[in-house]
Amino acid sequence: MPSSTPRTIRESSPAHWAIRAAGVAAIAFVAIYLASTAQPSTLGDITEACTLAIAAVGLNLLFGFNGQISIGHSTFAGLAAFTAGYSVNAWKWNPYISLAVALILCFLLGLALGLPALRLKGPYLALVTLAVAFVWPTVAAKFLDQKVKASTLKGTKLEPLSWTGLALKGKEARADKAIFLYWAAVVILVIAYVIVRNLRKSRIGRALVAVRDNETAAAVMGVNLKLTKTVTFGISAAIAGASGWVTAARLATMDETTFTILSSIKYLLALFLGGAATLVGPIVGAFAYFFLDDYLKDHAPGWDWLPGPLSKGPVASFMLGVLVIAFVFIAPFGVVGFVKDQVRKVIVIVPRPLRRAPMSAEQVVQTEATRPDEQGPENRGELET
Amino acid sequence: MSAAHALLDVRGLVAGYGAVQVLHGLDMSVNDGEVAVILGANGAGKTTTMRAISGMIQRSGTITFDGQDISRTAPNDIVRLGVAQVPQGRGTFTDLSVSDNLRAGAYTRTGAKATGIDADMREWYEIFPRLHERRDQKAGSLSGGEQQMLAISRALMSKPRLLLCDEPSLGLAPIITQELFAILGRLNSERGLSILIVEQNANLAVKIAHSVFVLETGSIVASGTAEEIAGNDSVRKAYLGY
Amino acid sequence: MGHLLQYILNGLSKGSIYSLIALGLVVIYRGTGHLNFAQGEMALFATFGAWWINDHGVPLWISVVLAAMFAFVGGGVIEFGLIRPAGKKSPFAVIVITIGLFQAMNSLCGLLFENAGTGLPFGSLFPNEPDDFWRITGNTVWRYENIGVLVTVLVITGLLFALFQKTRVGLAMRMVANNPDSAKLSGVSTSRILMLSWAMSAAIGSLGGSLVAGLNDGVNLATMFSVFLLASAAATLGGLDSPLGAIVGGLSLGVVESLVQNYPDDWPAHEYIGEDTAIAVAFLIILVVLLLKPAGLFGTPRVERV
Repeated sequence: MPSSTPRTIRESSPAHWAIRAAGVAAIAFVAIYLASTAQPSTLGDITEACTLAIAAVGLNLLFGFNGQISIGHSTFAGLAAFTAGYSVNAWKWNPYISLAVALILCFLLGLALGLPALRLKGPYLALVTLAVAFVWPTVAAKFLDQKVKASTLKGTKLEPLSWTGLALKGKEARADKAIFLYWAAVVILVIAYVIVRNLRKSRIGRALVAVRDNETAAAVMGVNLKLTKTVTFGISAAIAGASGWVTAARLATMDETTFTILSSIKYLLALFLGGAATLVGPIVGAFAYFFLDDYLKDHAPGWDWLPGPLSKGPVASFMLGVLVIAFVFIAPFGVVGFVKDQVRKVIVIVPRPLRRAPMSAEQVVQTEATRPDEQGPENRGELET
Repeated sequence: MSAAHALLDVRGLVAGYGAVQVLHGLDMSVNDGEVAVILGANGAGKTTTMRAISGMIQRSGTITFDGQDISRTAPNDIVRLGVAQVPQGRGTFTDLSVSDNLRAGAYTRTGAKATGIDADMREWYEIFPRLHERRDQKAGSLSGGEQQMLAISRALMSKPRLLLCDEPSLGLAPIITQELFAILGRLNSERGLSILIVEQNANLAVKIAHSVFVLETGSIVASGTAEEIAGNDSVRKAYLGY
Repeated sequence: MGHLLQYILNGLSKGSIYSLIALGLVVIYRGTGHLNFAQGEMALFATFGAWWINDHGVPLWISVVLAAMFAFVGGGVIEFGLIRPAGKKSPFAVIVITIGLFQAMNSLCGLLFENAGTGLPFGSLFPNEPDDFWRITGNTVWRYENIGVLVTVLVITGLLFALFQKTRVGLAMRMVANNPDSAKLSGVSTSRILMLSWAMSAAIGSLGGSLVAGLNDGVNLATMFSVFLLASAAATLGGLDSPLGAIVGGLSLGVVESLVQNYPDDWPAHEYIGEDTAIAVAFLIILVVLLLKPAGLFGTPRVERV
């Protein structure tokens, strides 16, 4: 229990808007600063981290908010990536058209998967999605063999749009391409975040969470289970597809090993690290995962205290696996959940009162504080951002 | 009548589920060789009391069984000490056969105590012939009354000194309920088995009881012999229906 | 068509391994309600352990048994140290732990054993010279190592069934699987049974992994991925709480895999189906079954209390 009551701020009050604006400004500033000063390789890293973040955001919609586990999201990313790569190279499509098509394809596939998912509970759903993750490399290999007639598929080699003023040829080209790709990834990430955020804050979002926590009760309250669950699957798949499209733009070549079960596991681990069922959790988790992985890969071989063969092996993935396990005990709601808990001791955003006769904000905080914890994977009130 | 010795003694029992406290300092006891009944409406805390005594939930206060403090003892150890429970809804092992259910009841009988298991099973088959008929059937396919007989037999296979029954009449037809309480009464009078019963509908239970406790929202509000409680107008009206 | 029997016989041995790993999954699921996503990688770790023991001069079969014993202990430790405390927090926590374990154990193998990525040689557990087979008919042969694997799995399965049906411990496990509260009220220490479930499952997985390595003449970091996938598919198909389902599911999938891998040369559609599409075919079969019976062929449907 906090020793002093935290300061309260009413939702949508001027103070709240000020906090929101400050947050957005800070992020925009960082993004622009990086774009103008960072090395192309660093931008490339951030771009890669963004693709992980986009996929994690999509997965969070389905798993964190709607309670449907999927270990097969790598398939959607793969499908989108291959759609983009093939249509751009073989059919000379505009890469942005391929994005639209990929998104639609993934949405439909997600819907299709969401239908049988309606009948499957927990572990059964997990295992079916596991199978989905394994099916993709098979399909990809066959596709490469039969249609592409090569062992790899070329990426889309996204080039800066003319209105950006970035160079297409010449000395600046490499750096400018990296900048453009970086912005493309960031913009898509922001769009994905906004979509998920708006869904979450709307009636639809409440329906999603209601379904997660207690399907029967949700149905009794009028939620259309079939529609909610399948459409969520579809949207989640489409967002993962967006991640795949960016990867296709980023990579020079792809093959059947680009999107495997290990990618799906990465999305999940990133989600857990950051905090499932929070809005920024997947993004924070993805960046944390990516840069931790990167750091460990670079530095582990140099650690003298690791006995010989150990340092040459997959130290990064081992430590990340251990980290996630540790987090279950130390920070069960991920980094974001932990930070929220700390912030909540100091400042709390209080929802707008619904009734005509308002309780004072202090009274609302009191009732919030004495309400017993609800169940469900993540069920804290959220710090509105 | 000799001075009654409390086989089970409960003092200041506090228990609940998470943030919800159900029992607020419950005091009651069961004398050796006697039948005690706890009457209470829905939500009064009857099942919570039974679960607390058997160690199934967190509890504080003092629970003494045969002189031994069992307030911190684990459920499986409490069974070994001689307390068996027929839980609410009977708690039958639905996927196991009838005979396996009986064997399950005898789980704590190891070593020397294991020798009488088969003989005891045969005895229960004699008392409840329908169980013998269905001994290889999955217990989940039995009727409510049959499952209740099975549950009691299963509990008694561990040769307890105290039997706890949580709403044994729940979901049973009146005729079966009468049979049930007749059996419980006989178990007490013929074998000296101490029994604690919690019930909502109390007529039949009180008829075989030596002492009665009235439980209301987590604490005992009245207690006495069966005659005293039956003689109490307000209790009679509220719980016995007349 | 003349090869049908051959393909079936070949499929039975791989299938029996899927059954074995699936049994490990079922034991944990029945006893605890959790899905051990790390089953395959725990088996992998134990198999590498068997390799290591063997590498230090211990005969292969003894190494395999020793590894299974260490796996038994390890499984119990994991349950006690990780799963139980996590389970107290939420079932979600357990999922996260098993997924973390999946990654951690796989990487641990890569860290501890040099060349784990490319592969370490694993001897065969049964005679497997080119002429070690039993000629059944003119063209059909049944290799000793395939017979050996099938027989081993059948023996282990038989022992497990005997344990469940005939012993007090087995009764306790069935009690806990069916009704944990009543099991407690009957004097069973459910925590000990949970630990035992994980320990047994780890040992079973270890044996399965060793059998796979023996068939493949080697073990590497990717060995258990497809085995786990098909084993979990088998368990799903058969019903996650049904040991019989695990057996039926595993053997069926093994045979289907063998048929899909070998037949297509005779089929017109053979460009699209082939060696690696067995998994896709398996997936489709399972999807269809689950649509009709969401809890698997032999599983008990979960009744949700509202």
